[in-house]
This record gives sequence, C-alpha cells and structure tokens, in this order.
Amino acid sequence: MRLLRFVARRLLLLVPVLLGVVVVTFLLVRVLPGDPIRTILGPNATEADAAAARARYGLDQPLWRQFVDYLRGLGTGDLGRSIQSGGSVTSELALRVGPTLELVVLALAVALVVATVLGIWSARRAHRIGDHSIRVLALAGNSLPDFWLGLVLILVGYSVLGWFPAPSGRVDPDTHLTPVTGADLLDAVLTGNGPAFGSALGYLALPVATLSIVIVAPLLRSVRASALEVLRSEAYTAAAAHGLPDRLLRRGYLVRAALSRLPALAALVFGFGIGSTVLVEYVFSWQGFGQWALRGLLFRDYPVVQASVLVIAAGYVLVFLVADVVHAMLDPRVRI
Amino acid sequence: MTPLLSIENLSVVIHRSDPGDSGRQIAALSNVSLDVNAGEVVGLVGESGGGKSMVARSIVGLLPPGSRATGRVLFAARPGAGEQVDVLTMDRAALAGHRGRGAALCFQNPRGALSPTRTAGRQLTDRLTTHQGMALGRAREAARELFEQVGIRDPGRRLDAYPHELSGGMAQRVMISLATGCAPGLLIADEPTTGLDVTLAREILRQLRHAADTDRRGVLLISHDLASVAEVCDRVVVLYAGAVVETGPAGRVLRTPAHPYTRTLVASVPQVDGHPVVATPGGMPLLARAPTACPFAPRCGHADDTCRTQHPATTEWGAGWQVACYHPQAENLAGNLAGSPATQAGGARTATQAGPAGPRPPAGPAAPVPAAVPRTVLSVEDAHVVYRSRFGGGGHHALRGVSLQVAAGETVGVVGESGCGKSTLARLVLGLVRPAAGRVTLAGHDLSRIRGRRLRRLRIRAQLVFQDPIGSLSPRRTAADAIAEPLRAQGVPAAERAGRVAAALARMGLDESILPRRPHELSGGQAQRVGIARALVGGPDLVVFDEPTSALDVTVQAQILQVVAELTGDESRGRVFISHDLATVRGFCDRVVVLYLGRVVEEGPVAEVFSNPRHPYTRALLSSVPSLGAGFAGPRLELVRDLEEADAATGCPLAARCPLVTDRCRAEPQELVGYGASRAACWRVPEMPELLRGGGAGA
Repeated sequence: MRLLRFVARRLLLLVPVLLGVVVVTFLLVRVLPGDPIRTILGPNATEADAAAARARYGLDQPLWRQFVDYLRGLGTGDLGRSIQSGGSVTSELALRVGPTLELVVLALAVALVVATVLGIWSARRAHRIGDHSIRVLALAGNSLPDFWLGLVLILVGYSVLGWFPAPSGRVDPDTHLTPVTGADLLDAVLTGNGPAFGSALGYLALPVATLSIVIVAPLLRSVRASALEVLRSEAYTAAAAHGLPDRLLRRGYLVRAALSRLPALAALVFGFGIGSTVLVEYVFSWQGFGQWALRGLLFRDYPVVQASVLVIAAGYVLVFLVADVVHAMLDPRVRI
Repeated sequence: MTPLLSIENLSVVIHRSDPGDSGRQIAALSNVSLDVNAGEVVGLVGESGGGKSMVARSIVGLLPPGSRATGRVLFAARPGAGEQVDVLTMDRAALAGHRGRGAALCFQNPRGALSPTRTAGRQLTDRLTTHQGMALGRAREAARELFEQVGIRDPGRRLDAYPHELSGGMAQRVMISLATGCAPGLLIADEPTTGLDVTLAREILRQLRHAADTDRRGVLLISHDLASVAEVCDRVVVLYAGAVVETGPAGRVLRTPAHPYTRTLVASVPQVDGHPVVATPGGMPLLARAPTACPFAPRCGHADDTCRTQHPATTEWGAGWQVACYHPQAENLAGNLAGSPATQAGGARTATQAGPAGPRPPAGPAAPVPAAVPRTVLSVEDAHVVYRSRFGGGGHHALRGVSLQVAAGETVGVVGESGCGKSTLARLVLGLVRPAAGRVTLAGHDLSRIRGRRLRRLRIRAQLVFQDPIGSLSPRRTAADAIAEPLRAQGVPAAERAGRVAAALARMGLDESILPRRPHELSGGQAQRVGIARALVGGPDLVVFDEPTSALDVTVQAQILQVVAELTGDESRGRVFISHDLATVRGFCDRVVVLYLGRVVEEGPVAEVFSNPRHPYTRALLSSVPSLGAGFAGPRLELVRDLEEADAATGCPLAARCPLVTDRCRAEPQELVGYGASRAACWRVPEMPELLRGGGAGA
C-alpha cells in the first residue's frame, strides 16, 4: 500500500518534470544555429520556396503559437511531423524505441548478473590473483571505446569465427516476424515465432556484448566494494562466528546486503547506456532510437529532437523510480 | 570432571602490517589461563584494551588477521567425557562445527551484529536449522518459543521484524536468543548490558544466569560492570594489559579484592548508596611483548623495586582465589570506600589524589548556603515536545508537560530509562527543539520566542557535554580548535582565545601537548575532558551533561566524574546531569528529577530521593541498580514489564508496569504533590510504607 502510494506520487512528479523539459527543449532547439527548412530544400531553392515550406510546417507562426500547437498535439499523443522525412514523429518513435530499449535493457541485465556474480566472487577472494585479474579485466573493458570494441567483436565473431550473423538488420527477414512492439526478441516471443527468436538472439549477441563489456566495470566495482564491506561487518562476523555454513552465509547474509546499493548506480549506468547506443547502433547498423535522435539533431529536425529529449527524460524518471523501489525491496531500512 | 573450557597459557601477539607502522607488534594476551565449567557463569573484567574480547575471539577461533596465538584453548565438546580439543589447532571443518554448536559468541553491539537485511526470525531459524538439524517449519516454532523464553512479548510479530525495527533491549534479547539457538556448550557474552538502562540490564543478566542454571551451559560474561558481575557470576577473572591479575569467587573477589588493580577498579565504581568514587590516574599500557615486570606497577600505590623488575607469579590467596601480585591487600576495601581520612592516608596514592578534590558528600548542598537567593539560569514551564512523523498523522510525544528550574551554582540530575525523554529535555533546554507548548527560559530569555542569529547567540549561554566523547569532536579539527569553538562563535579575538583555551585545559588537568592532536589521537578520557573544556570555555550559564561517562571505562569514568564533581563548586552557573546510571548522579547532584515517559514522576533533594523514594518508579529504578556495597537499603520493588509495552495515554503512565496498580491509577492522571522534601506524582504515596510491608512488592 505504502509502495503504491510512493509510486503514484513519483508518477505524478513526472508531469512537472516533463512540462519543464518540453519548455526548455522547445526554446533551446530553436536557439541552435541552423535552419531545418534549408536542409530539406537543397541549394537551388528560392526564398519563396522556403517560405512555403515554413508555412507547411507551421514555422511561420509566432513562437507562442507554435508552442501552444505543440502542447495541444502532445495532449493527444501527436508529437508533430518530422521536417526531414515528413512522417509522423509518433509512429517513427514507436518504431525506433523498441529495438534500442531491448538492446540497453538486455545489456544492463547481462552486466548486472555478471557484476553480481563476479563482484561477490571477487570480494570473497579479495587481494588474491583471481580478484586482481577480474578487476583488471573489468577496467580494461571499461577503458575500450565502444565503437572499436564493436568492430573487433564483429571481426572475430562474424568474419573469423562466423558464429554470429552479419551486422546489418536485427532479425532475418525470412523468418517473417510480425512486428508488435518493435523489440524483435519480445515480438518473437509474443507471436510464438521460434525461428525469429533464434535469429533475433543471434543479431543481438554482439551489440549486447559490446555494451555490457563497456558498462560492467562500475557495477562490478560497486558490488565488490559493498560485498567487502559486508564481509568485514560485525553482522557477517557474528553469523560466521555462529558457525553457519558457507552457502547460507552467502545467500542469506551477503548477497542481499551487498546489492542494496546497486540499483541507484544501475539507473545511472542505464542512462549512460542509452547514450552509448548511438555509436553501437551505428557500428551494428541497428535502426534504433539513438541514430534517429542523432540525425534529428544534426538536421535541426525540431519535432524529432523535442520528442527524443522528452522520451529520454521520461525514461530517466521511470528508471530511477524502478531503482528506488528495488532499493527499498533490497534494504528494509529504506522507507519510501 | 574436565572443565568445558580450559585456556592454558594463551598468548596472542598481533603484528601490525599498516604501512608506515610495519614491524610493530602488540602483545594482546600474555599467558592467560582460565577455566569455565558447565553450569557456571564466569566473569571476565578489566578496562578496555585489557584483552577481554581477544579471549572471547580466540575461543571461537576468530582472531584478527596478523595475530599469532600460542598456548592451548582446550574445549570439551561433551563436558565430562574427558575429551578436549584445542581450538587453536582445529581445521576448517572442525572449526565450523565448533563455532556456534560448541561456543557461541553473543556480540557487544546487538544492532551491529544482527544482519540488517534479514528478519530476526530468519536469523534465528538459520541457527536452529544449522545446529539443531530442524526442518524450517519446526525451526520457526522453536524460534517463537526461544523468543518467548528471552522475554520478547508478541514473538510471532517480532519474528518478521527486521533488526532496525527493534529497540536496543529487544535487539539484545534477540542476540541472546541467536547465541542460545545454536545450543552451545559455552555462551560467551561480550558486554551484553553496555548502554542498556538498569532495569533492562538486570533482565538480560538474569537470562544469562538462566542459561547456566537450567540448560547447564557454561557462560563467560565479559563486562566492565563490576557490580553486575559480582551479582551474577560464580567466579571472576580480572585481566590487566593482557594478563590475569586476579581470579576467584566473584562475590568475594569484588567485595574484598586483593590485587591493587582490582581494588582500583572497584573503587572507581560509583555507588548508589553514596560512596564517593576514587579515581586512579594513568591508563593501561599497550605492551609490545609479554611483560617482564608487573604491568600495573606504574599506577600502583604499593609498587616497589621488585614489582618494577620482576613479573609476579600467580599465588594462592584463598580457596580457589589466585592473585598475581607481590603485595596483595587484605584490608577491607569498604572502609576505604567510605572515605574516612585515616584509611585513605594509609591506603594507596589513589586515595590521596582523591582527597581534597573528591566529590562532596551527599549531604553537601546544605552546607554553604549563599546569602542571596541564587538567580535562576534555566526555567522550563510545562513544556511539551512532539516529534511529528514525516507525513502528518500523529507523532511521538517525547515530553508531556515537564517543569524544571535550575539555579546558578546548582546541579540537577535527570534520571530515567532510555526513551523517557532525557535527551529530548537536553535538546529542549539547548534550544535545539522547540516546545509544542510551554516555555523555556534560559538566562532570562524565552528560547521559544527568538529565532535566527539571536537564538544562536543565546545558545552560547548553554553548552552540552556529549555521551560519545570522540564522536562529538570533529575528526578534522585539533583539540585546540575544538575547545576554542564557542569563543570563535562569541567573536573573541584570536589573541585572547589561546589564553582562555589554556586556562580551560588546565582546569581539566590536561597539559598543552594535546592541543595539536585530533580526536583519533586522544583516549576516551582525554577526549571527554576536551569536550568538557569546550563546554566551559565560553563561560556559559548552563552546562548540560548528557550521559558523559556511559561510554567510558570505569576507571576513566571515575576520573571524569571527579572532574565534573570539581565543577559543582562553581557558583556562577547551573548544571544538568543526565544519566541512566543512578549511582553516578548520587555523587554530586543537589537535586534529582526522575523522568518517566516524558513526565516528571518524582523530584527532590538527592539524598532524600535516593534514601526515601516516594514514587514506585524511583524505587524500582533504585532496586535494580546492581551494587558492590550495600546497595539500595529500603524495600525493593520490581516493574512487571519492559518499557516499550507500556502506554502513556490515560491515567498514570506507569500503570501498565507498576506492581501496586489499582483502577484509580489507570483512570486518573497523576500530578506532582509535595511529600516532605520531595514531590512525587503518585496518589498512593501516603500508604506506600504499608503497601511495601504488606508484600505487594517484588523481590
């Protein structure tokens, strides 16, 4: 009950946050130098052509008018019309968000599992060879540029070993996957399409690996540090002094206590992961949200930029909400 | 019969491998030998740093990294069977079986030693399934029974509580149930009552005695509370600087100690019957190797050249009573305690130290009555304090109409159990919380009316001495900075500050070499003196001592109490001394106020309240104070429940716990009414003597 109230309150908080984001991005994107109309018209267009195009996108209206129109659209879920492609931003967005979310969520999940297992293993062998090598490896992964790592993984996994499909597309078109959410793996599950599931998994493997390797290091460090703290705590010593078996000590007294600080960091890493997808998607020709948002920004495609910032802001609030809830579930002392 | 545990010549040397400090070693224990039999409670006493916890840790094979143990820690898995195993040579598997099942450690700080992310019930069932081979469902049943045995009410609900939801006393009970849940042959309790108030401490010790008497466990009770040890333990072992200095029957050793160190310890304990404490200067040395001379010699009044060059061997002093001393003392310590000049002069140097500076006798305040009526420095009138919960809806009513006057030159003691509002009262008079109703007047200004800079100015007029001496000093500031802080707040020029800091320091008996040190380089006693110097340096009108000695060792406690007692001669300011230890209040307070659940239940001159308590609560508090001397003389009274179950809503707040309760108590709120020299909030006071004689009282 208390949890529900907390979630409801935080969701209500989403409204003022998003409203602020809308106002700021709406203004900022128009302050940026560059004219979206010129980028679509080409070098030979006349002033009259430009004015006509402006009128078509409503850019000839006074600023407040444009803003009111935009807000009114938002109310009905209409994010406007892309200047670059002329298509509806809402439908383009729906197409793009799924694949990227799938990529980032899977990468974060893999990174969290790896960080938890290795972090705790590492802490229990603190300052021995295994511990040191894991920490060095994690740090190395963290220091590699993601686009380079992606290229190396393609070289090894596709060109040399041939285990994974070519880095173009997200699922084999021959499997006839019916898109539902845009996240191919999820769609394959929803439609019960076995071959598509296998194919999507194959396509996902390398980009997910790339992203996981890049983000695992901070998570692992955090888990290791918390686990060490727990291992040295009086509470753990007391449990050990009462002769509880190793397995019980690990499961009952170490893991949960060691993980309680992870959700907040994972939420931050999630945001970092969204940023990293821009390059990873580029390397793997992943037609995702990152690339779409970047192109929108480069061509000053106002509605696209506004929509992508809005989605990222909402995503952040939601992810931190989830992190807070998970933290409260892990640590009974946290009151929400 | 082979003892359950016999430690033979155990020595532990710890090698420090800190960078910059390499090669340094500490002889934590030197040739310690002691036995614990099944069904016996053995007390292990001494100052901190004396090696008490190290003994406990070596019994469960949990020595700190870098330590090397020699000697033997023999443990009989089945006492009487004659087969003993050395814990120090056990392998991993044997150690796993020994820990918990053989010897279970009951940790000092129960809140820290309970895992915060597992429910209390799960932690107990973990022990039960591991050591008693129970299935989970059966273990939960057994856990409920165990909780009930250690006196936890509503055990079903507490099983699902997380440790942070338990009160201090409750957590300590859970800790004991965890240790007994392992069904150990030997129960080791490491300072189980430190920080608990008298009524709870008594209950916890009763649990330990119970474990020895009914379950035939051996109990090793580590404590610095000598009076409790004397009451509960069969035998006592006194450790000093890692060596056993005296061992024997607990009651006799602690009432008529033979070793000068034990005598020092005993003399440092404040007594509820008003004996002044005798402080011994100096502190325990940290030894690098096993001592070749008597480690206590530098502090000992009887030491001669033999003591300083040779280590005394253990000699028989009485039946089962051994002393490691060349000059064991036979004369009665009680005479010494009474403070008659003759015995003090003939006694140790400690006594002469205490002579002129010693606390004044309880009858003191009557003697130098100032001609004029002293000015009132603090007046609290019918103050209420409510801590609101964060999202509206009720709150915790910490003070419910407290009135208190403190005149200049007067010391007022405030006593009561934890959770009765003592600390809230301190925060109130310092202007740190605002009263929901009522008035607080400090040095003529109404604290609740002013805000901002004027309030901060006024706060300089009242100063607080904290419970945790080291934690209350900023770790980044030197002692000089800390002491000068109130002067800086007053805007005293830097040139003048140094002189006043030096004066305050001299008054505390500290020399200037500690000025550049930071808190972690100070001992507890030094840090507390710095804390007191900081409180005094600005010349406040009121000094509030919030349990200034409860975190300190007995000998250090005696030193600090002496410092505080010296301050009571100061006629220019008033003092409030808060403590849950009634014996400390007795020594030097003029008046005492007894708080219960945010109300004053009794107040009056200290001698009157302590020798003739009117309110049942005061009598119960006095009855539960453990004592090495005669203790509380009058008829005793015992409360029937713990504080947390009591209710303060209607009628007398004590009604739920008072053995003398009637329907009228439950219905009518009680007001303070004058009875002789003191005032009490209980309508049954006139018939009290009869009630107590009539057997309405507990043991």
